[in-house]
Amino acid sequence: MALGYVALGITALVLFAAPLWYAWQVTIQDGRSEILQADSQRLTDVYRRDGGDALKNFIATRVQMQIAGDRILLLTDSALQPLAGNLSHWPGNLPTTQGNYRINIDIGERATQDTLVHVAQLGQYFLLVGRDNKLFAPLERRFWYGLTAAIAVLSIAGLLVGLITRRALMSRIYSIGQTVSAIIHGDLKHRLPTHLSDDELNTLARTINGMLDQIELLVHGVRNVSNSIAHDLRTPLAELRSRLEGLALVRPSPETTFAEIDGAVADVDRVIHIFDALLRLAEIDAGMRRSGFVSLDLADLAATAVEFYAPAAEVRNIALTFHADGPLSVSGDPILLAQALSNLIDNALKYAPENGVIDVAVRHRADTKAEIAVTDNGPGINDSEKTKVVERFYRGDASRGTPGVGLGLSLVQAVAKLHGGTLELSNRDPGLCVVLVLACGEAHAVSKSPAAASEAASGAALRNTATTAP
Amino acid sequence: MKILLVEDNERVSQFVIKGLLEAGHTADHAANGRDGMFLAASEPYDVIIMDRMLPGDIDGLAIIEVLRKTGNRTPILILSALSEVDDRIRGLRSGGDDYLTKPFAFGELLARLDALHRRSQGVDREVPLSVGNLHMDPMTRRVTRGERQIALQPREFKLLEYLMRHAEQVVTRTMLLEHVWDYHFDPQTNVVDVHISKLRQKIDAEFERPLLRTVRNAGYMVTAGD
Repeated sequence: MALGYVALGITALVLFAAPLWYAWQVTIQDGRSEILQADSQRLTDVYRRDGGDALKNFIATRVQMQIAGDRILLLTDSALQPLAGNLSHWPGNLPTTQGNYRINIDIGERATQDTLVHVAQLGQYFLLVGRDNKLFAPLERRFWYGLTAAIAVLSIAGLLVGLITRRALMSRIYSIGQTVSAIIHGDLKHRLPTHLSDDELNTLARTINGMLDQIELLVHGVRNVSNSIAHDLRTPLAELRSRLEGLALVRPSPETTFAEIDGAVADVDRVIHIFDALLRLAEIDAGMRRSGFVSLDLADLAATAVEFYAPAAEVRNIALTFHADGPLSVSGDPILLAQALSNLIDNALKYAPENGVIDVAVRHRADTKAEIAVTDNGPGINDSEKTKVVERFYRGDASRGTPGVGLGLSLVQAVAKLHGGTLELSNRDPGLCVVLVLACGEAHAVSKSPAAASEAASGAALRNTATTAP
Repeated sequence: MKILLVEDNERVSQFVIKGLLEAGHTADHAANGRDGMFLAASEPYDVIIMDRMLPGDIDGLAIIEVLRKTGNRTPILILSALSEVDDRIRGLRSGGDDYLTKPFAFGELLARLDALHRRSQGVDREVPLSVGNLHMDPMTRRVTRGERQIALQPREFKLLEYLMRHAEQVVTRTMLLEHVWDYHFDPQTNVVDVHISKLRQKIDAEFERPLLRTVRNAGYMVTAGD
């Protein structure tokens, strides 16, 4: 990994240096050929003005006076025999046509390489003007040293940083790996190590921890539910078994036998009911029901439910009242909402005392929510029980001895969740108020149109018929 | 009634066929989709009981769709172990007329078969109904027993109307919940019984011969007979 990054860095550096180098070379080349041309021009001028001998002397003087410096000068006759200059002979591989050439020249004591020379023909003379490149060599060397140093620093630093990062990363990945293998072995309590910084790994660890929290919650729920299912199914199955065993052993009279068979059928029905309730809960949890959403009137739905339970309330002398501001349109699953509401009223009927009071109210909330509140004057629930009552199969102390399997409120909560709402429980001293909150669009808000007013009036009429208190 | 049962489970088939014969119906049985399709298409049945899940390449819904496409209008009751509402809806959309989930009470099956058959005979919504000396006019919503007029609340009227339209047949609690309240779930209470007893007080209380009877382990029946 680290090596890869170093290689990448070096490549980038080279890519950066190459054009620079090229530009530099071109500039210098151009400059040098200009200088050469100027030199050659100056010598040509001398030849044109004063003739070949003057040029020969001019060059000889310059060479003698060391004015030439790093310049290479040579004047030859037409047979390429040297006449003047600091070069002993015409380089063998150099053509005599006018132009700029790059050649290696051996000038006695010093050998030059890659020297740029200008050749000019002046009458029967050939003139060679060159410049030794050694002046530029240090500059070039410095460039190469700089580049090499940069590459070295980059490689070492890159490798070091890479190694350190890798070690840090590996140690964190190791600890994550340890945690994960603990989780794989079934201990869901473990969480990935996190610290305060916001680096990528930490963010990822936090997200994964959130997921683990959710998984632990779900697994806990599933464990609880399967324990509860096992327990709750045992009861009717045990009863069924003892009934059938009793029949097999005693072989009672036909009447008793038929009664026992009826009882056995009822036991089986209880088991089936538990399964049905669980299947429906699973279905809601999976969110499969959202396809069945239609626009419906919550007030109408509640009115039907209240009317459905009115005779049952009447039998127990319970006053079941209904209030609605008017029609309240929500988008939802009519079957599930009816079942949820029916569960709430059924619960209230179970816990409300004889001659008690149950009120069902449908209201529009300010915050684009609709609510159905079912209030009874029964024993209520402890604060400690509030979160438990919606757990699957939970049955409070107060529910001992009443029929039910403890799935009612779980279903209501699941339905609320499916509809983007919540289930709120509050004590009324005495009594319990359960509020099913549902999301409804602002567009569905109750308007004060004449139609709504007349619906409200019919709601009032229904309230009268639904009130069954003596 | 002549009934066709398309069902692959041997135990369920035996149990249903035996029950149907005992109830005085004639019944044919097909154990797979091909036989079922062949029988359903070639014989005139009053009602077909169709299992949704069948072995092989033709399942219950496919048979129903083919039958409906070819213009066969025989009422079909779908039997299924799938109780989810979506499955129910898909079953009914494919052309089934009613849906019953396994496990079911045999009484429930019989009652639904009767109701399906009755419905397919064509019921005129506006014709007055009578059972014994109990009369109902759906148009005027007037209900009388003998000379006496009986005042019913709207839902009580609907309940009695359903019972009278299925007079001499057992009507189960589930059927009442579905058709009178449109409740497609089991409220797990005896509320239907309470509604029935209220209705009974209004139509039977002061008469010697009760018309609205409870059928043990099954449901209710409005009957003029003994």
